[in-house]
Amino acid sequence: MAGLNFENYQRNSYLSTKGFATPRATSTGTTIVGCKFPGGVVIAADTRATSGPIVADKNCEKLHRLAPKIWCAGAGTAADTEMVTQLIASNLELHALSQNREPRVITALTMLKQHLFKYQGHLGAYLICAGVDPTGAHLLSVQAHGSTDIGKYQSLGSGSLAAMAVLETNFREDLTKEEAIKLCADAIEAGIWNDLGSGSNVDVCVMEVGKDAELYRNYLTPNVRSQKARSYKFAPGTTAILRESVRDILDVEETVVSFDQMEVDTEA
Amino acid sequence: MQTTVASEYSNEIHSVPIEHRFNPYSDNGGTVLGIAGEDFAVLAGDTRQVEGYSIQSRYEPKIFDVGDNIVMTANGFAADGVALIDKFRQQLKWYKFDNFGGKLEIKSAARYIQHLLYGKRFFPYYVSTLIAGLDEEGKGAVYSYDPVGSYEREQCRAGGAAASLIMPFLDNQVNFKNQFIPGTDGKEKKPLKYLTLEEVIELVRDAFSSATERHIYVGDGLEIKIVTKDGVRTEYYPLKRD
Amino acid sequence: MNHDPFQWGRPSNETYGAYNHQIANAGVPDNTTHASLDAFPKMHTQQPIITGTSVIASKFNNGIIMAADNVGSYGSLLRFSNIERLIKVGSETVVGLSGDVSDMQQIERILDELETSEEVYDNDGGDYLRAANVHEYLSRVMYNRRSKMNPLWNSIIVGGFYRDRTPFLKYVDLVGVTYSSSTIATGFGSHLAIPLLRNLIPEDKDYVKVDEQQITKVVEDSMRVLFYRDARSGDKYSQVIIKLDEEGKVVFEFTKEVKVENQSWRFAKDIRGYGSSQQ
Repeated sequence: MAGLNFENYQRNSYLSTKGFATPRATSTGTTIVGCKFPGGVVIAADTRATSGPIVADKNCEKLHRLAPKIWCAGAGTAADTEMVTQLIASNLELHALSQNREPRVITALTMLKQHLFKYQGHLGAYLICAGVDPTGAHLLSVQAHGSTDIGKYQSLGSGSLAAMAVLETNFREDLTKEEAIKLCADAIEAGIWNDLGSGSNVDVCVMEVGKDAELYRNYLTPNVRSQKARSYKFAPGTTAILRESVRDILDVEETVVSFDQMEVDTEA
Repeated sequence: MQTTVASEYSNEIHSVPIEHRFNPYSDNGGTVLGIAGEDFAVLAGDTRQVEGYSIQSRYEPKIFDVGDNIVMTANGFAADGVALIDKFRQQLKWYKFDNFGGKLEIKSAARYIQHLLYGKRFFPYYVSTLIAGLDEEGKGAVYSYDPVGSYEREQCRAGGAAASLIMPFLDNQVNFKNQFIPGTDGKEKKPLKYLTLEEVIELVRDAFSSATERHIYVGDGLEIKIVTKDGVRTEYYPLKRD
Repeated sequence: MNHDPFQWGRPSNETYGAYNHQIANAGVPDNTTHASLDAFPKMHTQQPIITGTSVIASKFNNGIIMAADNVGSYGSLLRFSNIERLIKVGSETVVGLSGDVSDMQQIERILDELETSEEVYDNDGGDYLRAANVHEYLSRVMYNRRSKMNPLWNSIIVGGFYRDRTPFLKYVDLVGVTYSSSTIATGFGSHLAIPLLRNLIPEDKDYVKVDEQQITKVVEDSMRVLFYRDARSGDKYSQVIIKLDEEGKVVFEFTKEVKVENQSWRFAKDIRGYGSSQQ
């Protein structure tokens, strides 16, 4: 059967009333933003993933590719943003192939919102979706419940207020591409420094009309790990060996094969 | 007042009453750590104070020199921490008035703090408390408490948000837990020894820079108070601010 | 010596007789019993009713600046638009309050009494109330009220000068949590204004590099962002600047009815729908 499986829902809510802690999903905490400029659109994200107060991943990727020129920044439950994005990317590719046209941002958005609406907010995906297509450059956002929004600049995630403060004060309609990148990076940095759910590095993706999309992974790295004061190398033998057993789990056989005997695929 | 737990099926909709009353506590994050050496003791804490996902202050010190060569910290709910330390400071002052300026020994201070904490047994100070100083023989001493006053003298202790990250590191590096002498086939433990002040400060800095990497409530700055027979000294090191 | 303050300076019992403890309950009639007091449940603030939103404040090289709008909200209703939430205490201190407005007015009264007792009746030393004193007093009031499970539902920022004329800025809230920082904001301000203020003053010590003009501009920006994005905010606010003049004397500048200027709503003109609808 397609879709999510709710078999254990009742059991789990019963268990939680008995005091069993529900497992915590990795959240991307997150600051994500997007901003348009004449002739294109930029999106950006921080790279911290959290599980409660613990940093689960210091350099995760929150910019997902839906199509070569349509990219998506994700906030919320890490697994949901990842899976929903992969699913829509597949369907978008199939759709583009069957229609023999370049995929459009609005198509991606509609597929996302219909999928998310179907799950009534149980998929915790909050996305900023941007790209260029035959109709121009677009910047849109989708919330977990399926509602969507258009805007020339957007922010989502726990650092969205910090980022929005920067966007609201510095956005202009006539931004150049470089200025738009700088604005997005500044907005993400506001999240990195001021929001505990966001941190580490800045990823940026630029989509310009008539050009290939450019992903700048780790565009800024303002949080390099510091050098430790001491060395923590242990002398060999420091850890006690309690038991030792060596097993051959496969037989290794060595044979020499001369080059001209080897089959080489010359087609590829 | 009742609310409905979100559910797919009408037959399992059940009501859970929500408690709607004032919560007198909050969690202000931060983490602290104390290590005792042979003739010194240190108390260290980060300087970040938080509320939810926001940083209230990047520099709000929480290690205090309370007098009589004793340093103290109470980490957790910041208002309780301040109240507890203020109360102890005041009592120490009065003790001196009554005792012709005599020094309060750290073990007496330790027992007194137990009573301050237990005095609020049913409305506790929501803090993990640490004090550090020198004992009657001049040896380094660290005492640690739970929120209602159970206490113990220890060689080292981490408290607060990242205690669970730092404590195993301390067990291994200060008390040499799980370390054996190479070549003894795990029969002989690495013998305990006092660490020098330099080694201790390096350990503290590494513990805090690591905790900063992996705990969102830790960061901004590290303040260390060092107690020796010559008095209390403070050192500051910046930490990452993200 | 007995350190219990209640035992200090009492006339001796032999001469004047034992203290009449009834005096402490002066307001309560003699025939009041515990039972009659319990008959009507004692009400504690459990939620704010009329509320004021953010207060924002910052240090700069020559003093401090604080701003708060004039809206009083009743839930999501904009009930009042003439609430003054910045109050002057003594000669060189400002207190900014957000949260419940009735509790704010109670605090105003408490501060008024403090000012009267300290500045009028107890001014023998020639010294006067400073920001640090006001903050300490308020933080004790707030912590004691929370400990009685009867909080004053406010977040408060106190601004002024230390004795050595360096700027003072400190916070206290309904649970008694305090902290100091070069930039402080309450409520939505802590999410929307603090990032902008910290861009200008990244580290606490950096306030000395920032002048009045620079900080005023960022406060303007912050109040605009708050008006855009905080649904409980207004476009009219009060601003206090406390600074030192050339001779080192304190200047207390209270500006009322400042308007949020340079708003831009033009983005709205070319937004159509929320997704698929074409222009």
